[in-house]
Amino acid sequence: MRPRRRLKRNLRRTPGGLLKSSPDRFWRPHSLNWRSMANCVPSRLALIETAQNADGGWGYFPGKESWLEPTVYALLALAGEPWAHQAIERAGCLLRSWEVGSGGWRGCARVTEAHWATSLMVTLHSAMGIYDGATRRGVDWLLSTRGAETRAVARLAHWLSPRTVEFDAALSGWPWEAGTSSWVEPTAHALMALSRVARRGEHAGLEGRIAMGQAMLLERRCRDGGWNYGNRRVLGADLPSQPETTALALMALDRHAEIRWGEMLDRVERQWHQTSSPLARAWLGACLLQYRGERPESPCRDLGGDILVRAVEAIPWNRILTAA
Amino acid sequence: MACHRTRSPVPVASKAPVAIVRAASYGTDLVDCLEQGAAACRLQARGKRVLLKPNLVECERGGVIHTQAELLAAAVELFERLGAAEVRIGEGPGHRRDALFLAEEAEYRRAIPGFDRRFTDLNRDDVARIAPFAGTDEIYLSRTALAADLVVSIARMKTHHWAGVTLAMKNLFGVVPGALYGWPKNHLHQVGIGRVAAELYRILPRSFGIVDGIVGMEGNGPVQGRARACGALVMGHDLAAVDATACRIMGIDPEKIEYLRLAATRGPVAEARIEQRGETIASVQTPFALIPEFQHLRLV
Repeated sequence: MRPRRRLKRNLRRTPGGLLKSSPDRFWRPHSLNWRSMANCVPSRLALIETAQNADGGWGYFPGKESWLEPTVYALLALAGEPWAHQAIERAGCLLRSWEVGSGGWRGCARVTEAHWATSLMVTLHSAMGIYDGATRRGVDWLLSTRGAETRAVARLAHWLSPRTVEFDAALSGWPWEAGTSSWVEPTAHALMALSRVARRGEHAGLEGRIAMGQAMLLERRCRDGGWNYGNRRVLGADLPSQPETTALALMALDRHAEIRWGEMLDRVERQWHQTSSPLARAWLGACLLQYRGERPESPCRDLGGDILVRAVEAIPWNRILTAA
Repeated sequence: MACHRTRSPVPVASKAPVAIVRAASYGTDLVDCLEQGAAACRLQARGKRVLLKPNLVECERGGVIHTQAELLAAAVELFERLGAAEVRIGEGPGHRRDALFLAEEAEYRRAIPGFDRRFTDLNRDDVARIAPFAGTDEIYLSRTALAADLVVSIARMKTHHWAGVTLAMKNLFGVVPGALYGWPKNHLHQVGIGRVAAELYRILPRSFGIVDGIVGMEGNGPVQGRARACGALVMGHDLAAVDATACRIMGIDPEKIEYLRLAATRGPVAEARIEQRGETIASVQTPFALIPEFQHLRLV
């Protein structure tokens, strides 16, 4: 069978069934090499495993203290690997100790408040089939968290000076930190987490909050069609989009009707080839994997010690985000 | 942290030395220029662990957003010549997460041998708690920055659409970890840009400032402004004095910049409290264009 035909057949087998179900044409034959990264993933997973800290977590770089974000990504990457079960167990012990009583998880051992990466923990729990009290409290924390731009004082300031930062103050996503404004990346992660939980149909209030978060993302879209880190226009000047935030926003807008998906995914693929940012490339590849079932071949290049990039490139996002 | 010291108010009688050194372009012998400034300020670095803190808030190849690679490379050489025990480079970019990519785009990896080995992404560093902070309970800062014997803030001379200017003090925002506060570090804007800059100045007293006015940015800075050549470097131990001098060169009244007004309780901002060395302000003064919202900052 010719490679392209084989790939199309495989795409039909992807959990989301995108090729068959979408009215838009996700798959576009491409002259570039679309072989999978199967050769690189095992080496990345091995490197991730060796970078695990004694406390069971991962730092952003080997030898650094453990943080929630790289630890969750490392676990999402390792979760399907039988040989990694001991590493996963150790990490699980650490993460259980990081749960905050009022819901959510702390960002690292030194900080006591719930952290924006709580959304990643909810995604991890969903991916591992866990829906326990900690998950529910994490979801509640996400539901109780919103950007500060919807507060009365902030809305008044925005009404008095709408040109300073142009956005719809009625639409709220998620902030990096409680009490601050909504931004694209934490909103995208929260939407990905809540969308998975919503499929269970056991948690009230999710659909409305997801719709609001998606509306916020759509409203913050830049004139060039992608997403900046959070704003589209400041002091009368358009902001340019960035590839990593564009990829994350698309991942969170899961088949939203207002996106011309074929066009956007072609753009994501072009950016994947053009960018020299390993982080941007990791998220662009994750986006392509989620919607097209494959990501372009990435050479087994030296990524330095960046655990986050290594892990994002090794996570099976299509299985994690599209499976029911 | 046990080893941590904060800045005490400077006695009113003493004057802070600030050097102004002419440098027409980045093709000039910048190490020589920096050595002149360092000598004028009696900079001592022997045996110290030095952290060079450039500004990489965003990057546009060939643009004037970030600290120029040639200047950063010259600073590495300066501190090695001065006998520093270690010269590290650290930055926590405010907008984009991929710090090494920004460093690549800024050509730091080309200009500085062993850049990756020297570099720490301060956004994703280990952190230490400082409490209280600018009227809030606490803040967490990069441990690499807090542990350095000398933090050298190397900033481009730029206008800033929220703070008026961004110079050596505002550049310290990069020691606040994005892993906790995000991209951008919106928390700092909520607390108040002025209060945060003044507080970081208090918390990091073992510092040295280098403001690059060879080519600065005017108008809608710190990202979308226009290039403005001034042809001068401003250097000194006291970041408030360095920034106040840079403001005067830009034709901006430093006492109308909130963070400098707040810092004035601990450091020298008034002209009478700064000892100008090297070139005079008048000889290099280059008025920077200001957005309409900041016309009132103009030095009269």
